[in-house]
Amino acid sequence: MAEPELLLDSNIRLWVVLPIVFITFLVGVIRHYVSILLQSDKKLTLEQVSDSQVLIRSRILRENGKYIPKQSFLMRKFYFNNQEDGFFKNTKRKVVPPSPMTDPSMLTDMMKGNVTNVLPMILIGGWINWTFSGFVTTKVPFPLTLRFKPMLQQGIELLSLDASWVSSASWYFLNVFGLRSMYSLILGQDNGADQSRIMQEQMSGAAMAMPADTNKAFKAEWEALELTDHQWALENIEEELMSRELDLDGMFNSKH
Amino acid sequence: MEMRDKLRKWREDNHRNSEQIVDVGEELINEHASKLGDDIWIIYEQVMIAALDCSRDDLAWTCLQELKRQFPGSQRVKRLAGMRLEALEKYEDASKQYDSILQDDPTNTAARKRKISILKAQGKSAEAIRELNEYLEQFVGDQEAWHELSELYINEHDYGKAAFCLEELMMTNPHNHLYCEQYAEVKYTQGGLENLELSRKYFAQALKLNNRNMRALFGLYMSASHIAASPKVNATVKKANVKYATWATNQINRAYQLAGRGTKENKCSVKAVEEMLESITMS
Repeated sequence: MAEPELLLDSNIRLWVVLPIVFITFLVGVIRHYVSILLQSDKKLTLEQVSDSQVLIRSRILRENGKYIPKQSFLMRKFYFNNQEDGFFKNTKRKVVPPSPMTDPSMLTDMMKGNVTNVLPMILIGGWINWTFSGFVTTKVPFPLTLRFKPMLQQGIELLSLDASWVSSASWYFLNVFGLRSMYSLILGQDNGADQSRIMQEQMSGAAMAMPADTNKAFKAEWEALELTDHQWALENIEEELMSRELDLDGMFNSKH
Repeated sequence: MEMRDKLRKWREDNHRNSEQIVDVGEELINEHASKLGDDIWIIYEQVMIAALDCSRDDLAWTCLQELKRQFPGSQRVKRLAGMRLEALEKYEDASKQYDSILQDDPTNTAARKRKISILKAQGKSAEAIRELNEYLEQFVGDQEAWHELSELYINEHDYGKAAFCLEELMMTNPHNHLYCEQYAEVKYTQGGLENLELSRKYFAQALKLNNRNMRALFGLYMSASHIAASPKVNATVKKANVKYATWATNQINRAYQLAGRGTKENKCSVKAVEEMLESITMS
């Protein structure tokens, strides 16, 4: 709908928009360091390390098996996949999926994660709402329906105001998600301030139980290995090699 | 602070030039300790290992004391203390030290590997081989260990098992020409027609990966001529191998000519190579 463009006081820009960006960023950085301090040590068991390496070895066998003689490849494939005593067929790991309720260490981890991330967000969001209320902060560049009005225009009681004009609280939330890439630039990947990643992890963590993975991973490897065939890369290597002269450039220059 | 940069470069490249490290490191520690900040700890570790290599026990002891003071409960420092005991040939004590580390943390690979090297230093290669096998059962991905095991097997003349270890290494590092070449040499030593063919192929692979590998070139020549000379092969195989051998000869000649480009000594060595090749060639 055609409406007169609202001209916002430039003071708003100076004293509202920029401080909110600043606050969000600093809170994020503080969160990162706090999460490092609170991180509990992850102890890996010998079995886990060993299993992960075996999986890597089997994968390498599949990918690079073509560089070793056919006999050796078959020998290893047999070792892994044999019906009676192949490694993948026989090794069953005792699996106790650690449900969040029973496993105490995971419980504390989850709690720490929640406290570090969600609590500050709520607190600061509320504080910003209270401090910077009563005026319009910015305009989103795309048109929104009226349904968004109560959500995005928290303190503003104007019925006729276009829903694209939003309050400071929504600018704060926009910042929280938008500064994610800034965090990875400054703090390096995998930082504790990356909230959306953590929320994703929490959602998928409930559906995923790590140790059960080992058995499934073994089964998947078994299938994949069954399917691989041995194409010897060295079949015609002499012909390939002798098709041209060796490149002996620079072999006898003085070195170091 | 180019001394610090030098040390860092050596550390990252895993150079083992212990004497240089000791010289540079000692000077750095004695004179510029305050300017190094937190880097000093890792420099202490590097210099200590180099000092153990050069039998500089005094220097090693000072470094160890500093590290112990700063990091009292650390596994890494305990391992260094164990290494010092090893250098002093107090193998029993060193072994106990490593055992205590392993009790705390069974996944600590460094301590296990030091125990195995103690056995090797004492000359008990059969036991070392056994321990290394057990270690590799747990940690299949450790390439250093596979290489060490292949060396031990070669010393015991167990070429079949050495070949197995080298195969693991070739799979994990398909572009490393040195592993191909070592594998080919082991196969050549094993002998037998099949192994000679395999060795020829792997020498060729090593050459393909690195055109300048002279050992592989000579190896190719030797294996090809051996097969050609063997009475059991049929005519086509023989012809093919003679072709390979002559090609290899040409490349060798080319290489030696490039080597000196006409200097007097070089002319003699080129002649020597030609004669050698002719003497080995059996037609």
